[in-house]
Amino acid sequence: MDRAIRRLFYVFVAMFVGLILMLTYVQVWSAPKLKVNPANTRAVEEEMKIERGLIISQDDQVVAKNVQQGQYFLRQYPFGDVTEPWLGYNNLRYGRAGVERVYNEQLTGQAGLLGVTGSWSQILGKNQRGSDLKLTVSMKVQEVAAKALGERKGAVIAIDPKTGAILAEVSYPRYNPNTLTEDWKTLNADEGRPLLNRAIQGLYPPGSTFKIIVASAALQTGQVTPSTDFNDTGTVTEYGYVVHNFDNKVYGDHDFQKAFASSINTTFAKVGVKLGADTLSEYARAFGFGQGLPWSLGGATSRFPDPAGMDQAHVAQASIGQGEILASPMMMALAACAVANNGTIMKPYIVDHVLSYNNAIIETTEPSAWLHPITPATAATLKTLMIQVVKSGTGTAAAISGVQVAGKTGTAEVANGDSHAWFAGFAPADDPQVAVIVLVENGGSGGAVAAPIARQVMAAALGK
Amino acid sequence: MSVRNRELVFLLPALVLTTLGFALVYTVKSETLSWSSLTYGLLFLALFAIAHLGRRFLVPDADPYLLPVTALLSTLGLLLLYRIDPDLALKQAMWLVVGLVAFLLVLASTRDLRGLLRHKYWLGIAGVLLLVITAGIGRNINGSKLWIVVGPIHFQPGEFAKVLLIAFFAAYLVDVREVLTVSTRRVLGVPFPPFRYLAPLLTIWGFSILLMVFMKDLGTSLLFFGALLALIYVATGRAFYVVVGVVLFLIGATGLYFVFGHVQTRVDIWLDPWKDASGSGYQIVQSLFSLASGGLFGRGLGQGYLILQNGNPIIPHLESDFIFSAIGEELGLVGGMGIILLYLIFTYRGLRVAMASRNDFARLLCTGLTSIFAIQAFIIIGGVIKLIPLTGITLPFVSYGGSSVVANFMLLALLLRASDSAARDKLAAEKRAGASGAAPAASASGRRDG
Repeated sequence: MDRAIRRLFYVFVAMFVGLILMLTYVQVWSAPKLKVNPANTRAVEEEMKIERGLIISQDDQVVAKNVQQGQYFLRQYPFGDVTEPWLGYNNLRYGRAGVERVYNEQLTGQAGLLGVTGSWSQILGKNQRGSDLKLTVSMKVQEVAAKALGERKGAVIAIDPKTGAILAEVSYPRYNPNTLTEDWKTLNADEGRPLLNRAIQGLYPPGSTFKIIVASAALQTGQVTPSTDFNDTGTVTEYGYVVHNFDNKVYGDHDFQKAFASSINTTFAKVGVKLGADTLSEYARAFGFGQGLPWSLGGATSRFPDPAGMDQAHVAQASIGQGEILASPMMMALAACAVANNGTIMKPYIVDHVLSYNNAIIETTEPSAWLHPITPATAATLKTLMIQVVKSGTGTAAAISGVQVAGKTGTAEVANGDSHAWFAGFAPADDPQVAVIVLVENGGSGGAVAAPIARQVMAAALGK
Repeated sequence: MSVRNRELVFLLPALVLTTLGFALVYTVKSETLSWSSLTYGLLFLALFAIAHLGRRFLVPDADPYLLPVTALLSTLGLLLLYRIDPDLALKQAMWLVVGLVAFLLVLASTRDLRGLLRHKYWLGIAGVLLLVITAGIGRNINGSKLWIVVGPIHFQPGEFAKVLLIAFFAAYLVDVREVLTVSTRRVLGVPFPPFRYLAPLLTIWGFSILLMVFMKDLGTSLLFFGALLALIYVATGRAFYVVVGVVLFLIGATGLYFVFGHVQTRVDIWLDPWKDASGSGYQIVQSLFSLASGGLFGRGLGQGYLILQNGNPIIPHLESDFIFSAIGEELGLVGGMGIILLYLIFTYRGLRVAMASRNDFARLLCTGLTSIFAIQAFIIIGGVIKLIPLTGITLPFVSYGGSSVVANFMLLALLLRASDSAARDKLAAEKRAGASGAAPAASASGRRDG
């Protein structure tokens, strides 16, 4: 009997060893896979215990805060859809986007020195508290921009050309992050694509705003000066492609300054063809085409066609911002910044600094240069051309009394529907504080539709 | 050190665990818990102090490890319950009081286990009756008919039936074991007894199949079959019975798999819980997530994600069937292994008691009780970690549940009684031998004090 009992014990030992092996397999070997299983809600729960940092605008408005519910913190966005598209969301179900995504580490207190204090408070069983973000965005400008664009599809960006600090960024249609969970299905089915951040992800033919880049190339290569004379007969035919002026106007004899101010297509087609595909492509690239936007929030890469495949018809088209050129609103805002900031494009940024829970600055964004597409001299010349646009050309609707505004309108033809209305500009011209881009999809002419929006946004940024 | 004092020393870990554990949970959840809740810890300490004193008085020479292991398992269970729901911990603490009373009553009333032999048929009838009643008027909870509900009281007769039936079967085997070991033929070199000697085996097999059919529970069936088979094996020493028994059980289970939906569902979930992770596979999937989040060292007491925002536990039946998942999450692999090793120690000590016993009945009784205890722990732990198909039974001494706590304390009392008797018998035998000059008494007592 003893032998049988002993054997029985060995059987139990084997069974219990089996338990330990299986337990080790589950808790150690397959744990990493189980932790990221989509059906596993524990990661989300873990994060909900962290008191995320506040997100505060440049003018001290809280744009993202927490509501405590038991041991959990739920995110709330006091401005609703106005702070989209850049703020994004921190959603239990659909993850994160925008600033909430890019600065998640700081907001949850996992970055830098705070990571250490974070784990200490975890050991002490206290709630973690993340860092606050102080943004460059001014809610005053943001609200004016959102209101000015209204319920028109499009995007508006206001940026400090000297630093690259984003003052406002609007995209319409947009979504309300507070009701994202309920709206998710509708938002995804919506043909207006409200989840798309048009300001950085949308790609559009830039139309005449691209003439800023063509003029830069022509001026810097010495091809033209503001006083170079041209003659317009209403049309120009390049390789079978007929270039018309806007509204089929005929301007007759004029100089380059007039061509820029009135956005004379025939003259730019001639200048562009003379510069050639390679030079245009080179300058487009110098302004940032073909390169990813230099910031953490990403965006679409603006495109200029491969010069090797361009005939004169293509070049003529490209010279007036049509054809295969596609630019994001942010790209065109940065082009305006280059002129405003003596030929240097600063990298855009939206978070000015990161504050620990006891208000110590633990991270500051230092403005840094991205590209130098043109010399300060060329920039100065271009600035005078852009001032003329607002003073006497197509962009008079952007003028602000008492402030010298520089700009360029664009009316980009699209295959179906009305033209896209563009305006790129900055103010005050002698000491630029704000650069603005406005795009209204199928909005009509840039001068009539986009320029007034730009005026309101610039006025708000300048405190007018 | 004397056996009795050794037990007192081994109770110290449980004391430390209780004090530290309750203090820890209190610290973590201080917002929702009051200081008075810490009295559960004190109550628990008082309980095991009384248990120890009772044991010291009633069964002074019994095994000194079984009670401390029980104390550790109970304290861990109470701790986890306190963390899941303090109200449940209070109820469990009351059940522990009842269990302790039952423990002392059994110790006091069974001076000699052989007294049970006289009532063996009554034990058997009572055991079967409990199960029949459950199958008849039992309520189906979590897919198995294991509960009788009378007003606010939920009663699990199976827990008591297991002690009664083991006692009956042990007594029955004492009578027939001589016959069962007689073999007349050999088939392929294996001793093959006449067919009628297979009767006990076929009886327990039929009994298990009936359990599966009427209680819709694979686990209870496996539990009884495993323990009774272990008894037959130990009684006869014949592996033959085990082989035939396992084959029969597999045939029966396979047959039921195809006939009964609930068996099929259980097995299918076990094979692939991910197919319906938010439906039928939810419990086991959440249990695996729970274990995975615990990792090696666990998230710490009170730090796991056991309770949802709406106040419900993330796994239904977390306090009973899935308490091991909660342990795995908060105390990690280390804690889970600790629990498993505690069950292994209990099993080892239980079988040691069986081997030390001087009469066949005590040996078989202890073997059976220890086996059913070990198999129960294996089935539920194996179920929640997806080693075997999941079945809803309690984790002895750890899970919430009055029937389980009381029945297992009675089981413990029987083991301690047997252990004490064995020590006394041995001492008496040595004294007789010492009196006739065969062995010096000093060495005998020296061994006892070890």
